[in-house]
Amino acid sequence: MTYYLTTVLVYAAVDILACLAISLQFGVSGIVNFSFIIFQAAGAYTAGVLSLPKDTANGGFQTYILGLNLSFPLPWIGATLVGALLAPPIGLVVLRRLRSDYQAIAMLVLSVIASLVVTNTPAFLDGAAGLALVPQPLSDKFNAYSDGYQWAYTIGSLLLAVIVFFIVQRLINSPYGRSLRAMRENEVAANALGKNAVAMKMTVFVVGGAIAGLSGAILVGFITTWAPSTWLYPETLILFAAVIVGGRGNNYGAVLGALLVPVGFEEATRYLPPFGPPGLIPALEWVCIGGLILGFLWFRPRGVLPERRRVFAARPNPVEVGEQHAGGN
Amino acid sequence: MSLIVAAFGFGLVSMSIIAISAVGFTMQFGITNMINLAYGQVMIASAYAAYTVNNAGVSIWLALPVGAIFGAVFSFLLNRLIYAPFQRKGTNLIGMVIISLAVSLVIANVLLPIVGYYSVSYHQNPGPTYHLGSIALTGVQVAIIAVAVIVMLAIYALLRFTRLGKAMRATAANPTLARNCGIPTGRVVDLAWLITGALCGVAGTVAGMNSDSFSVASGSEFLIPIIAASILGGAGSPYGAMIGAVLIGEMTEISAAIISPEYKQVVAFAVLVLVMVLRPQGLLAKRGALAAAG
Repeated sequence: MTYYLTTVLVYAAVDILACLAISLQFGVSGIVNFSFIIFQAAGAYTAGVLSLPKDTANGGFQTYILGLNLSFPLPWIGATLVGALLAPPIGLVVLRRLRSDYQAIAMLVLSVIASLVVTNTPAFLDGAAGLALVPQPLSDKFNAYSDGYQWAYTIGSLLLAVIVFFIVQRLINSPYGRSLRAMRENEVAANALGKNAVAMKMTVFVVGGAIAGLSGAILVGFITTWAPSTWLYPETLILFAAVIVGGRGNNYGAVLGALLVPVGFEEATRYLPPFGPPGLIPALEWVCIGGLILGFLWFRPRGVLPERRRVFAARPNPVEVGEQHAGGN
Repeated sequence: MSLIVAAFGFGLVSMSIIAISAVGFTMQFGITNMINLAYGQVMIASAYAAYTVNNAGVSIWLALPVGAIFGAVFSFLLNRLIYAPFQRKGTNLIGMVIISLAVSLVIANVLLPIVGYYSVSYHQNPGPTYHLGSIALTGVQVAIIAVAVIVMLAIYALLRFTRLGKAMRATAANPTLARNCGIPTGRVVDLAWLITGALCGVAGTVAGMNSDSFSVASGSEFLIPIIAASILGGAGSPYGAMIGAVLIGEMTEISAAIISPEYKQVVAFAVLVLVMVLRPQGLLAKRGALAAAG
């Protein structure tokens, strides 16, 4: 029971982090980052190779770079940094000159290619087999199999999710967040008002990448394995489904979406009696994810918890436009 | 050296398949302003439709038109039932990309339980092998090249000499103006989806003929060289897509001979990145994937 609850809650924390990042990028700023999952993967791999010992340990059944065997907070910090540092090179290619839909497909293709490269380069991150036996944080000091450890890990991850929630909340309610929404609504107008849209997109890309990297580190620290099959491009689409269902641009919506779609779906199908040939249920799950996106975009494009409309009360004494004109003459 | 010449031969086949598919893909974008990410899945669905007929004992050359018709009807319905309603609703470009990706996911996973998880291959006779220096191609591969040449000429003739082609070019250039000139743009768009869908179906079937076997997972693999060729040539430009297909087809095959076949797609992607950095509008189009001036 402890095992079940902690697993669900850690996954919830990871999905909430991911959805907050996507809500910031897609919901608030209008960037469709179809390569989101590779940021999470980069974080997970980084945390993995920073905390694993050299690849000759454990009998040398896997090959990977680094293997620094660093102690706890460092792998997670490293993962966050790598997630953030991955953003500028991608952003510089994709976000500067392309039309918004081409930005999206360029990132989609990148996601497919990244998975292909990692799979076909076993010396880099152990190819298709992936990393295994990643040491859990502080497992040298505590018993990682005890209930206490599991709960501590869960509470820690949820706390991180809460902290990130407040950071993102502050960001999108600040004047900077207002500029981001202006860019989303009308990029040309925002540019005309002196807002540097490319710089803003890059910033959001970096912040989202850092959050994704952290979420990957939390996940790999818990499940201790990470392989290309866990970060195929449709995984990004699940997170988009979550944000669209929950309500894009609204952080509460992102949290709700994370709980309903990735977590809720997985749990709901766990209790289904097995039917049909093997593989039918996962296929139907994907059909449902696609259907959810189409259905919500058609019937309720703003999601269950829509973004709050920000309206400003008219000034009691409007500026006298005519007078200024007279002064100019 | 002879290895590279042989790879050049395979490049001819590769470019033929990419050309047929990329012209359809780029015309969908040019005429309806829609990047249809479900294109690869429609290709594989058409390949399976042809397989069903082929498996029942019909020659693959008679199954090819079945694939084409399936692709045409499927694409037409896809637009009528899903894309067009969303576009009428005013969904923006980004929304349409998300929708087409969701559609692609749905098609792949509806197809999966129907056709199964195992790879299949067509029942076909590869025919005699033709040699030209170090180039060695089977009869089927030569026929695929011939199909591509015929299709390209047909598309050229359609766009250049027919009223429908003229109407398509007008709709692509400015749909509102075209409608005001009395062109029934709704019908032009319907016909465009039928024609590009047929290209998609032919491409899926010949891709299946050229490979040892194919499965549902091949659908998303098709898409990368298609996107690379279309953007390289200039998104929305059919002739650009043909040039892009020639370049991408040869580059991927020759790199497969020099480096490793696993990195074919990576080479296509590297070309895509270079184009996006250096010339986002592509070789031929004025606008292409370039954003509006801002």
